[in-house]
This record gives sequence, C-alpha cells and structure tokens, in this order.
Amino acid sequence: MTDIRKTIVVTSVGVVSPYGIGSDCLQAGMLEGKCCLAVTNDLYPGFKGTTAQIHELPLLAGGLGPRYSRTDRLAVIAAQDAVADFASERSAFRESGVVMASTVGGLTEIDPAIADDPAAWYRHGGLARAASYPAARVADAVGEHLGLRGPRCAVSVACASGAMAIALAANLLLDEAASMIFAGGSDALCPFTLSGFNSLQALDPSSCRPFDRNRKGLNLGEGSAVFVLETLAGAVARNAKVLAVLRGWAMTNDAFHSTAPQEQGIGLAECMRLAMEMAEAGPDEIGYVNAHGTGTPLNDIAEARAYETAFRTRSHPIPVSSTKSYFGHCLGAAGALEAAVTIAAVRSGALFPTLRLTDPIESPGVDLLRGEVRRQPLPLAMSVSAGFGGSNTALIFGSVRS
Amino acid sequence: MTPILPAVKITGIGSVTPYGPLAGLIPPSKLEPSVITAWKTTGLRRAFLVKPFRPADVVPGLKTRRLDRLSAWALVASSLAIKDAGIDLRQVDRSRVAVIFATSFGCVELTAAFYQSAAANGWSGTDPSTFPETLANSPASHVALFHGLRGPNITVSTKDFAGESALLQTASLLRHGQADLAIVLAGDTLTRAVYEWYEVADLLSPACYNSDPLPEDCGFVPSEGVTALLLEPVGRRQVGTEARSYACLRRGHWAAGRQPVETIRGMLGGAVPSLTICAGNGGPCAASPITTVAHEIAGHHAAIVPPQPVAAGLTDTGALLHLVLALSNRPTNGLALLLGTSLGSSIGTSGNGGFAAVLLELP
Repeated sequence: MTDIRKTIVVTSVGVVSPYGIGSDCLQAGMLEGKCCLAVTNDLYPGFKGTTAQIHELPLLAGGLGPRYSRTDRLAVIAAQDAVADFASERSAFRESGVVMASTVGGLTEIDPAIADDPAAWYRHGGLARAASYPAARVADAVGEHLGLRGPRCAVSVACASGAMAIALAANLLLDEAASMIFAGGSDALCPFTLSGFNSLQALDPSSCRPFDRNRKGLNLGEGSAVFVLETLAGAVARNAKVLAVLRGWAMTNDAFHSTAPQEQGIGLAECMRLAMEMAEAGPDEIGYVNAHGTGTPLNDIAEARAYETAFRTRSHPIPVSSTKSYFGHCLGAAGALEAAVTIAAVRSGALFPTLRLTDPIESPGVDLLRGEVRRQPLPLAMSVSAGFGGSNTALIFGSVRS
Repeated sequence: MTPILPAVKITGIGSVTPYGPLAGLIPPSKLEPSVITAWKTTGLRRAFLVKPFRPADVVPGLKTRRLDRLSAWALVASSLAIKDAGIDLRQVDRSRVAVIFATSFGCVELTAAFYQSAAANGWSGTDPSTFPETLANSPASHVALFHGLRGPNITVSTKDFAGESALLQTASLLRHGQADLAIVLAGDTLTRAVYEWYEVADLLSPACYNSDPLPEDCGFVPSEGVTALLLEPVGRRQVGTEARSYACLRRGHWAAGRQPVETIRGMLGGAVPSLTICAGNGGPCAASPITTVAHEIAGHHAAIVPPQPVAAGLTDTGALLHLVLALSNRPTNGLALLLGTSLGSSIGTSGNGGFAAVLLELP
C-alpha cells in the first residue's frame, strides 16, 4: 500500500538549455538528434574548444540586478519556467523550500583583477558582482525571485550536485520541512572552469564521444533545471498533474581519489544498489539509465564497470546512454538536466542514444544505446551522477502508473 | 510544520578555531582579535585568526600539502571529533558514515591562487593541481578520502544558517537510514579578498581597526575555522558501551522568510528551553536583535547565551562553534534552543525574518 505522504512526486520541471526554455524544447531537440555542441573561441583569449552555449538569455520580467550572476539568471529562468503553470495560484508555492545546486556559482562575475588588489576591484564595481559569490547564492536567487519562504539550501558537490539537490529535497519533504520544494541545479560557462578543465587536459577539442573507444574528454555546457517536488498527498490535494514519481535516491562516495573515479566503479554501483533498494525495484525493472558519461577516459570505463556490477543479475543488458553528447557537461546543473531527460524518457518511452558513439567500449551486460531513438515502455528509469571528490548520486524515476 | 528529528546525539567534537585545534569542549577563555600579518594592510587590521600549526602534529600521518587551509582544517577537526567520540573507524562499516560540510565561501584561498595564476599567466596558463582543490566540496571529499568514509558526502550552504541547516540535514540522513554515523562540519577561511570585501561593504566592527575592547553594537570581527560534530543515533552502540552525549537533537526547522517567534513557538509545542544559544551569524553581539527574539520565545527571565564574537565572525557557518562554546560553559541539563535569525546579521540582505532553530536536550 502506497503511503501518499511518503511518496515524492515531480509536478513540474523547468528547464533552460542550449535548446531553449522548457523541457518540451529539450525533448524535441533531442528527438531530432540535434547536437548543441559547437566550436567556440570567444570564452577567453587563447581558448578554442567545443562547448554548448546558451547564446541569448531571455530578459526576465522586472529585470535582475547586478547581484545576480549568469548562474543565478539561468536558475531563475528555469524556476520561472517551472512555475509557468502556477500563474494563477502563486500562493500554492509561497511556503516552499529551495534546494539548488551549483559548482560555478558567482565565479562567472569575478575576474583575475581581484587577485592583485581586492579592495580596488570591489570599489570599481566588484562589490555588487561579488554578492553572487557565496555558495548559498543560487538558492537565494530562486527563493527571492519567486518569493519563497521555506527552507533554503545550496548544494555544491561538483558534478553530482544537481542530482544530489533533488535527493536532499526529497529528504526534506519526508521530514515535512516544507510541503513543496524547488530543487535542481544551475551552472554557466565561465573562464574559471574552462581554464581549470583545460589545464587538466580533460576537454575534448571536438564534440565529445562518451563510451566510445576514441573518446578524448568532455565538453562543457551550461543550463539549469528546476523541479517542483512534493508529496503525492500534496499533489493530490491541489489537484496537480504528476509528471513522475521519484521512487528512489541514494548518495555514496568513492573515498578513492580527489579527481579520479574508483576504477571498478564500486562506489557508484553501491549507490545504484541503494537507490534500487529504496525504490523496491530489482535490476530487471530498471528500463534505462541516463549515465553520467562524461567522455573522459577514466570515467567511462569505471562507470561501465559500475553498471556491470549493479545490473549483473539482469536477464538482458541494461540500456545506457550519455546525453552529455547533446548539450555538454553542465557541471552543477548536469544531474538536474539529466534527471529532466530521464523523466522525459519515462513519459514518452523514448530512449535517447549517445551521439557519435561508433566504436563502443567493451562493457558486458551494458547496452550502450546508439543510432536511432529507441521506443519502449519505461516504467522505471535511473539517472546517475558522479563528480570530483568521489561523490555519486542515483535517482530513480517512475511513471505515474508505476 | 515541525519535523520530529530522530533521537540523534552529538558524541564527538573537534575544532580548529582561533582557540586552536581541540578535541572536545573548548576551555573558556577570553579571546581578543589578532593582528593580520598574512597580507599587507594599510594600518592596523584585526580578525579572529587560526594560528598556523602543522596538521601532522595534531593528526599523525596527515598530509595537507597543496590543500586549501579549509580542507586541512576539516581533516583535523573531523579527526579530533572521531577521537573525542572514542570511535575506532576500523570497527565501523565506513560505507555507512556520512560527511556533511557547510561553508559559505568554500576553498577561497586556492580560488584566489587560481585567479592569481590566471592574472599572471593568462587563463591558458593556470595551475592544474590547484583547480580541483578550489571546489567547495574538496574539504568534505578529503575527509572521506582520509578516513575511508563511503557514505553520503555532501557540501551545503545556506545564507545565515549554513551550520544549522547542515546539522538538521545530517540528522535527516540518519533518520532515514541513509547513514549510521555522520560527521557534520561547518567553517570558512579568512583571506584578503574576503576581509576586504567586508571592509569595502562597511560591515566591520571598529575593533578591527584598533585594540579597544570589542564594542557590542555595530559591525563584526571576521573569524575563521572549522567545527566538527560527530552524530550518531541513540542506541547505535551496544548496550553497556553507549557513548557520552554532549546533546541530543530533538527537532528543528529553518526558513527563509517566516516570522521566527510564531513559527518556533509552534515547533516547540509548549516546551520551554532552559537555555537559548543565539547564533548571531555575522551580527553584533549582546545588542543583537536576535537576543530580543530569544527573549520573546523563551521569556524574559530565561537564560540566553548572546552571540559570541569569535563564532559570529564566521558569518553563515558559525552555528556549530556557537553551540560548542555554549556547551563548553557547562550548562545545566534541560532543553536548549540553538537559534539563528537573519535579523541580527549585518551582512544579511533578505531582511525577511528568516531563522533557524534546533532544539537540543542537554544530558
């Protein structure tokens, strides 16, 4: 018997991505097989690489002051998209909480000149820009813009951040800390992170090829996804449309290395096992996994091994794809955007293949999707995220019928 | 709504603060701000600073070269908390131990170094070894790596209430069975860029510029450090080996925009705390509006611990240090309320009555 007070559901998904605003736009672009990755050379002097940029950020009603970074703006746009259906009932979410993830945050607004003389930099316009620097800022940006009065929390766990924000929001709902929570992630392209990943030689100069033998690294992207999460009881009470059920979630750490994943993917496999345990679902019941799939040599091997372990008992190979091949790695937003893709897959039964996957790595028990979009009923699907520092998060979404 | 927390107790304390690296309670002592010498200042500048120390002298075998001080302090503070709790991690299922870290600025020291390398060499010439250490979750991940902790590893931040929200979310993880043990940490480091930010924004106390006694009515003195608490559910250990408890978490709540008095009274459900610990993050001290709120909640004759300057100077992440300092003063048993409000925060901008409240039972 389902306890509707303990069942967490998704009742809205707001998205801003290189495809535009809205999850429909994201899904339509991906169904067309459109890739948003493009060569760019204007992100900082000397940089030439491949990224997925959002070229025109829409202006927001009422505008946003200088205290909002590009990351904040993306988050606010996605949050506004998430409440588009609430237009006539804003009081429904006034007491809501916010859990928003970011790794870049306000770094987009700070330049190297701060290093020489911080006081001078602040006095010459930096003070307002620095206001977006504290880690909590992205949650405040969403909360302030929507006038939310519930608990606020920002999450920064590298590339697992966006998924972890959703997991933590689900915990808060179980705690009855709020009746509704806006949760997701946001990150913008900026020289700091591009330079950092470039210095680590982690970037593929051309479009990335996750799970391919010839993969050379990742491409950075930008965007935001914000979910409206609430209990099924809350959704039923306000007659809200339920898009998906968050059936399970789990978080683990590799405790292995600062930047490299554990080679056998043990921590990630355990994370998936725990999420399936919470969802009371066996490996055979998961119809699709939206992978972390960065396209870096180490990640994809470790991740494939994790799938081999977690789904070892399946009768058929587990379908897996990396949608970073469409819109890049959006860092703190990645887990949230990929959760949005996973929900789209559950709702439409469309499994998106990995683009440019022509020579898959050897991965017994793993069906690395490539070529055409595969159509199949999808009662349960998983979205997996991992990040620097060894953090892993797995989310399992189910169709409403599941 | 008033979430009922699981029966979770604090069994270990570790800290790296201006009082030094310490396991357990902090012996009460009067602490004055130190003169800043780490960077060139125009005239006297003071802050509550962690005196330099070798982490390996405190935690044998600890290697912290190339780490941000925040990561190094998190490693030391977590080790001291584990030691204080009397826990042998070799006897524990470390896949069930969580690390939750609260910070406002993250690894700002190495972030500044990364910007310096960009200023000197251009964005194409930055240091690859520095970049991963600039991530806000580096301290928590180093704690996991050093101790082999494979449970949830989470880095969070909440304006004004990062420590309180981390404490409550840690209890939540334990309650939901997502971990059996957890280390919650909160802290920040003070760098030139952070200090001058406060200074240009005109947020600092006059005590930052002279050696007069701390005034209690304006500005704050920036501080730094990391405080770690080891949390475990009551009854986790075998009968007869139950650990000492500093305090037991009963319930808690935080919100960004509700009236604190009304909501916290609802949360208390008629219970009256015998002690209210004011976590005036970034706020001035005894004259802070938070003490007024505390009196409104607990009554005018209730025992109120005003915000302590050394913890208030940690802005968003001072709550755990406020709590440890209050516990260190040997309070009587009964219920204690750890209270934070954005009303007293001189760096707060929301002005909307946000608050955090954690109800604890003192043994």
